[in-house]
Amino acid sequence: MPNIREAMLNCRQDHKLALIAFIMALLPDEDLCLDCIKALEQGGCDILELGVPFTDPLADGEMIERFHHRGTKQGLNLKRGLEFAHRVKNSCNMSLILFTYYNPLYRMGLEKFTQEARAAGIEGLIVPDLPLDEMHVLNGYGMEPIPMLAPSSTDERVQMADRRQAAFIYCVSVRGVTGMRPLPEQEIKDYLQRVRTDTRTPLALGFGISGPQQVETFRDYADAVVVGSYLARIIEEYETRPQLLPGQMEKAFLELGKAREGKHGSV
Amino acid sequence: MYPNEKGYYGRYGGRFVPETLIPALDKIEQAYRQLAVDPEFQAELNYYLKNYVGRESPLYLCERLSRELGARIYLKREDLNHTGSHKINNTLGQALLAKRMGKERLIAETGAGQHGVATATAAAVLGMKCTVYMGARDMQRQRLNVFRMRMLGAEVKEVSKGSQTLKDATNEAFRDFIQSFEYSHMLIGSAVGPHPYPMMVRDFQSVIGRELKEQFKNLEGRLPSYILACVGGGSNAIGIFYPFLKEEVKLIGVEAGGRGISPGEHCATLAKGDDGILHGALSRLLQDENGQILDTHSISAGLDYPGVGPEHAYLRESGRVSYVNVSDKEAINAFLKLSEYEGIIPALESAHAVAYALKMASELPTGNSLVINLSGRGDKDTEEVSSYVEERQEVL
Repeated sequence: MPNIREAMLNCRQDHKLALIAFIMALLPDEDLCLDCIKALEQGGCDILELGVPFTDPLADGEMIERFHHRGTKQGLNLKRGLEFAHRVKNSCNMSLILFTYYNPLYRMGLEKFTQEARAAGIEGLIVPDLPLDEMHVLNGYGMEPIPMLAPSSTDERVQMADRRQAAFIYCVSVRGVTGMRPLPEQEIKDYLQRVRTDTRTPLALGFGISGPQQVETFRDYADAVVVGSYLARIIEEYETRPQLLPGQMEKAFLELGKAREGKHGSV
Repeated sequence: MYPNEKGYYGRYGGRFVPETLIPALDKIEQAYRQLAVDPEFQAELNYYLKNYVGRESPLYLCERLSRELGARIYLKREDLNHTGSHKINNTLGQALLAKRMGKERLIAETGAGQHGVATATAAAVLGMKCTVYMGARDMQRQRLNVFRMRMLGAEVKEVSKGSQTLKDATNEAFRDFIQSFEYSHMLIGSAVGPHPYPMMVRDFQSVIGRELKEQFKNLEGRLPSYILACVGGGSNAIGIFYPFLKEEVKLIGVEAGGRGISPGEHCATLAKGDDGILHGALSRLLQDENGQILDTHSISAGLDYPGVGPEHAYLRESGRVSYVNVSDKEAINAFLKLSEYEGIIPALESAHAVAYALKMASELPTGNSLVINLSGRGDKDTEEVSSYVEERQEVL
């Protein structure tokens, strides 16, 4: 059974950037979502970040926010997300990370949630509104929260993230919410290098990664990239032609896969 | 003394925001703690509160209502402040703080528009830029305040996502702040949000309670029996309660009971909610069994919010403050009664506190005194109330 740590290390050994895909669970519908996930694996995705829709996703930009609202309008929630994770785990070999805002998780109860999440094969958690100082609430449940950092993070915060000895640190690329945008290249490179001096934990760069060109730009500075809004855009574009959608997802990842080869540098 | 250094009031409060914002919150807290004890800053704030806002606000005895109900009913007249509500106490405080921090722009969320107007006003007088986020539904029912904000030079951004009310306006303000905190200050208007906001808002609003203590002692030589205030997020309530927490005064917070107790029909968060996390704090929350935030309803846009400040959650649990609720209809009746009996048109928000005071005053033994925080004036609500009354003739 693969795990996040190993997936990251394998990529590091093969001198390639690990690819993490973010996709909202159960959208556009359950079967199509599962087909997309299988296609992402075919396309070379290493780790899947499965999102749970929430009514008030304040770290997300317009694109992902639309998926949250679509999901909640259909009555999707953490319980349904966990059920779906079971199905995903039975259909693919990628490591699975769950993305959820803190309230649904808190409401379910940390004990019950982590038990069910482990049973569903989930290995890690991304909770965007649970900053480093509050992350201790998840200690001792056998479920790894992924620490996040941002360009605004002080050295002290970087060291706090380092001390968690996580499978990776999620480095948010910009001061902002999720979504595609032109990225300030040099600033991000400097920021990743700054983080790197304080930790040996692998670094995943996310927010605004919108194609192969950015993968190429940052492949020597990070250990992984997270691709979310880019996939959401493809889903919105092709969901009226559902038979074409999985193929497009695979194609997108194959292109990103080409761009990640030839990684130099890194620790 | 609450909050503790991590921003907790008992188990409520904290900072549940994206990591990106943590350094921004740290800086605000640092600056605030410095300025809170800086005599020069306090003098500047007091100058504006006196000469610009018109403080202190009067304490008025409602003679006709008192005679009818048999208890002495007082109003703390925050409606007479410049801009027409208590909101300006906090917006001037935070705007001056933001200016000291070198910020050039203010971001605000608003429900009824009172906080939006107060922020736009502070921005205008201090020469700052201002963006206000407001739900599309609220823009419609509080049109007058939209015009006012625009005239004051603020940019009003319509939020037509989700519930189209204060909750979603707040989400949008946070998103703006996450991108712009280097040059912008998010000026939260209620006692909600991540630490240090609930503490700052409480401190800036506490001027209401401090004045009341003096005024009441001068009038009656003691403290009032009861103090009542409406609670949405809870800024006017915490402002008037805070200086009395350690005194022998009964404190009552009045939430919006809306159309009834079914989910989606009210905003009685402290009565019907559970523990949960929204907009950066652990507090009480109206949510479903899966932790999704519920839609809410209140005739009053300023109370139409599924959360409440963490300090109120704490005061409810400790039992220090009683929280009750009144319906839309009771609030409307109180709105009309105060207008007709005392010539004071209250904001629909404040009318909730008036409604409960009227209800309880008639049942109290004689000799009791009640102070209602009249947090805002009701000009903005006259259209809404007229159409409510026209649609339901039975009210009158």
